[in-house]
Amino acid sequence: MRRSSIRSLAGGAAGITAGVIGGIALTSVSAAGPTRHADTAAFIDAAHVPPALTLGGEPLRLRYAIVCPPRDDGLACDGAGSVYLRAGTSGPFTEYPLNRGEDSADGRYFVDVPRGIAGAREGFSYYAVLRDERTGASVTVPSGGADAPQRSRPLKRPALVRLGSHVFGNVREPSARVAFAHWGSGPADVGLAGTRDLGFTGPSSFDVEQDGTADILDSVNERVLRWSAAGRSESVPLGEPAELADLAAADDGGFDVLEPQGVLKHFRRDGARQWSQKLSDRTWAKLARGRSGPVVLEQPSEEWMPVAADGAPLTRAEQAHAAHAARGLANGHELLVDRIGASELRVAELHDGAQLHSWRITSETPLGEVQLAESRGNGIVVVTHVYTDARDEFEVLLLQGGGLASRFAVASSSWTETAPLARFRLARGALYRLRTTPEGAFVDRFDLEVPQ
Amino acid sequence: MRRFVAMLVLGLALSASTGAQAYHRFWAGCNTEAPTFMTTMTRDAAQDYANAARYEGYQWGGGCWNYDDVDSYPNDPPSEVGTHGEGGDCSGLTFKTWRESTDTTRDGRYYWRALRNVHGPYDAAAFRAGSGAPNHTVAKSTAGVMDAFASNTHIGMVFTRSLYGGDQIVEAKCEACGTNIFYRTYRSDSAYGGVGRWGWTG
Repeated sequence: MRRSSIRSLAGGAAGITAGVIGGIALTSVSAAGPTRHADTAAFIDAAHVPPALTLGGEPLRLRYAIVCPPRDDGLACDGAGSVYLRAGTSGPFTEYPLNRGEDSADGRYFVDVPRGIAGAREGFSYYAVLRDERTGASVTVPSGGADAPQRSRPLKRPALVRLGSHVFGNVREPSARVAFAHWGSGPADVGLAGTRDLGFTGPSSFDVEQDGTADILDSVNERVLRWSAAGRSESVPLGEPAELADLAAADDGGFDVLEPQGVLKHFRRDGARQWSQKLSDRTWAKLARGRSGPVVLEQPSEEWMPVAADGAPLTRAEQAHAAHAARGLANGHELLVDRIGASELRVAELHDGAQLHSWRITSETPLGEVQLAESRGNGIVVVTHVYTDARDEFEVLLLQGGGLASRFAVASSSWTETAPLARFRLARGALYRLRTTPEGAFVDRFDLEVPQ
Repeated sequence: MRRFVAMLVLGLALSASTGAQAYHRFWAGCNTEAPTFMTTMTRDAAQDYANAARYEGYQWGGGCWNYDDVDSYPNDPPSEVGTHGEGGDCSGLTFKTWRESTDTTRDGRYYWRALRNVHGPYDAAAFRAGSGAPNHTVAKSTAGVMDAFASNTHIGMVFTRSLYGGDQIVEAKCEACGTNIFYRTYRSDSAYGGVGRWGWTG
């Protein structure tokens, strides 16, 4: 009896052990699965940086990276394709086959723009169709193809702005603090996640409404915190996390939240989600308010794409075909921005496609990203990042037709990471900055005085 | 025998529960096969390799993924290598993309297949310091395609530069955001330094 009981217990233990081990093994093998190179035949991607603003008369080479599934022999994609070019913005495109170069540092595939097209008075427009010769998969860049081609324009009599060598440590203090919250999860707090080892995440974006209300995307606590111009605060629960997402206040009182994986969600004023829509392209840089809804700067197209119009989301194809290289401004004009090399920035203001003003800005200190470029009165406000390998600050430039009206530096340090181009907003004629410290998160206002 | 069979069934059921799946899952399908030495090592082949890891997830200390465009085990607790989920972490993805050696004194040029589970000897801080024979620091303003930006806690590779002056970065970012190509401003962030890999052949 006793021996039988021990055998029974041993058998049971062996059974449960074998079952757990077998089950985990089966689950794991099923989850890992085979490598699927051969099955992902349709996959292809691309990278291209368009020469949006040129100096005119300079030779132009358009370069593309063609990105395919990795090959078993470890070599690069066997790519090919054509660029379709035309002078100006109308008429038929002419096909130019891509050449394959020896070096891929700036894109292995290229075409030299014929002099007659590169030198056209109004520039040229173009798109490319790229393919993987091994699988036959193809991709069009920009996504809208001939309906929304890339534009390249020559700068016309640009105002030259020489920033010289940036002097770090001479930053301007804000005019006012319009919002502040301590770290935490209480009703008036803003959420903080992560560790010193992993890095911290907190509020990833913000916006300022036309009535002066400041909205912070409290990504960790899954809500939007709002501060009215009178200083009253309220919380709008979104009910879903929004780590490293971008935010734009919508004209209907709700919010647009753009998630890192490329899904734009529209929330009503009370935080209820109304709709969500996948972006056309794989990568996004910035969410902004357009004239009839949210617009997003997307890659690889490198164009501003409307994601909704008049309150309704657009399909991915509709987004791509309605894309523009220039961003619509509050003053009804359009703006083109092109960061060149390590330390040059070109900006052009357009109206109905015609160039009104342009600026060629050079710096002896490297320039990073353009955080903001918006109209203010009859000028343009640009916030760019100046950096060395050890230091960085933001540089605020107030541009007018004749050149640089004024400039000042703003501290850049922040304790947590935000969406990439979400550190500044321009509203009500003032510049607002989102910043975090070990104490909490805040929005500061910088009043802009432009000499007349 | 009946008890064995009953317990076997119970064990299989337990293994399917969330608790049992929390650990030791994806890695069981990974392998330890030897890498393949390659004489050529181009930046666009590295773009192909890193790009294919998109959507395959993030795993702290990891370096194994398949190509089904799905993170088999998302949202594991961060900082726990024992969760054994799919994907590389930031330094594991960089190590495999840069075809490095597990021996820090060697140049490598080893093609590691996706399901080969290897993280490599470098964390983000080591990459930032330019540690290891194949690695070096570069001025951030000169960093180009498949160079990288590294802080003490993270590293991401330049997929391509971008029009507004930021970079499209291919990176294993976090459990919640996985591995993908994101627009980042690491180049101008003083928390990050520029790093590169010697020996590109084109």
